[in-house]
Amino acid sequence: MAEGRKRENYLGIKGWVRAGRYGLERYLYFLQRLTGFGLIIYLLIHLYETSFRLRGEVTWEGVMGLFDQPVFAVLEYVVMAAFIFHALNGLRLVIEELGFALGKPRRPVYPYETSLQRQRPFMWAIGVLIIVFLVVSLYDFLV
Amino acid sequence: MREAHFWLLQLVTGLVLIVLLGLHMIVIHLETILGFLGLGAGGAVAYASVMERAASSPWTWFYIIFLALALYHGLYGLRTIILELTLSRTASTVVTVLLVIVGIAAFSFGTYVTWQAYAG
Amino acid sequence: MFTEEQIITFKVQRFDPERDQGPYLKEYHVPYTQGLTVLDGLYYIKEKLDGSLAFRASCRMAVCGSCGMFINGKPHLACHTQITELESTVLEIRPLPNYSVIKDLVCDFTPLFAKHKAIKPYIIRREAGEIDNPTREFLQSPAELESYLQFSYCMKCGLCLAACPTAATDRNFLGPQALGQAYRYCADSRDDGLAERVKEIDHAHGVWRCHLAGACSEACPKGVDPALGIQLLKRQVVLRAVGLGKGRKLAAVVPPPSGQAKPRVEAPPFTVPRAKAEIAAGDSRS
Repeated sequence: MAEGRKRENYLGIKGWVRAGRYGLERYLYFLQRLTGFGLIIYLLIHLYETSFRLRGEVTWEGVMGLFDQPVFAVLEYVVMAAFIFHALNGLRLVIEELGFALGKPRRPVYPYETSLQRQRPFMWAIGVLIIVFLVVSLYDFLV
Repeated sequence: MREAHFWLLQLVTGLVLIVLLGLHMIVIHLETILGFLGLGAGGAVAYASVMERAASSPWTWFYIIFLALALYHGLYGLRTIILELTLSRTASTVVTVLLVIVGIAAFSFGTYVTWQAYAG
Repeated sequence: MFTEEQIITFKVQRFDPERDQGPYLKEYHVPYTQGLTVLDGLYYIKEKLDGSLAFRASCRMAVCGSCGMFINGKPHLACHTQITELESTVLEIRPLPNYSVIKDLVCDFTPLFAKHKAIKPYIIRREAGEIDNPTREFLQSPAELESYLQFSYCMKCGLCLAACPTAATDRNFLGPQALGQAYRYCADSRDDGLAERVKEIDHAHGVWRCHLAGACSEACPKGVDPALGIQLLKRQVVLRAVGLGKGRKLAAVVPPPSGQAKPRVEAPPFTVPRAKAEIAAGDSRS
């Protein structure tokens, strides 16, 4: 067969972000990697930032003083929120990616019920847990 | 070691990190909540408080193990995201090697700082 | 909402690599009739409005898997999609994403088939001769059948790859179709091929690139649920990697029942042998 000209039609990174009318799990897929990416970058910065404890009390309090601004308080909460989401959604993924909580294979009878629908109660429970933790930590940050 | 082992390690470190990072977050950030439970000393990031933890050997071990697990989990995850961008075979190897170097460097730096704070 | 003689607007992506610089949308107007599917609309366009429109279709009953396309932002089989279920009188039809476009709505499925082939989609046994020249038969319980049957309904329509976020960037990712089929064979009690397939699925672009976005299962028009198959496959591969899961029982091979008279089953009334027999017996119903 003669190879004709073709036009590549891959969605690219837009395909990660734009989940359109697909289920919530496809949004969680992107949020999981977004929060993960944020957390590893934060870890490397945090490692450098906390190394100032070797330089004595004056330097340390100087560095910590920078973070007293409201911008950093908000960022601190964002890191906390990212961790809460990544940890709990990650727990769901560990369980489900080993094939648990998805139900057993069954004959496809229309209208089809997918394993994703079967894990929804578990997913909502995790969602409620995430919201509870977010609210509790927000309360702590505000007080 | 196949990819399966590295992936399994990713799951295991993830599960352990939920506990370790959760503990770390509670100690550093959730002072009010700890206060309700009668545990909070307050000012977890005050210099005296930081150095007090730095001088205790359980906390020193906690930080070193915590750092190793967090770096593995984070950098393996970062590699996953980068490799999904369809790199050439050579570029994938370069990315993997670079991330291993970043991991070893960051671990050495963090351990050095923790050890200095403990010993000094 | 939908009445006879209502006009449905089809915005179809056109692209001819020999002539066009880039893809563009062209509008067609198709009168609604009861039971109109997207494929019916495309045939109407091709026959009455614009013969140059290229799309791929064959069975028009969701069996062959040829007419997958991106309809109003989601992958569907055109023949399996009623206009009424889209709840819109304006349709935007594009070729499936995450493939290369050959012309208009026709995509190149070569990578899909290559990946399907790569995971060895057939029963693998140590005693290879028995597969090529069977002398005995495999014993499989109904429960063992159910454990993989769902995944065997795959017809390679490729909708799952169009839905998969990882396939959007990773061209080497095996994808839900191939991995789902890998599980279909690995879960089959007659199959002993996990060790051989692990080489094809346990690498940087293999089964671990699935992060359970679930869009493949949502898109699948046959209810195959590839996402479930992939997670169960991960469990099998992980168990094998840590040295567990070896106690899997393979289906026994037994000689076919012999010495018994074959039960006589009467041919159904519409078959030629039965008709001949009836004529021979002088049965004239005319």
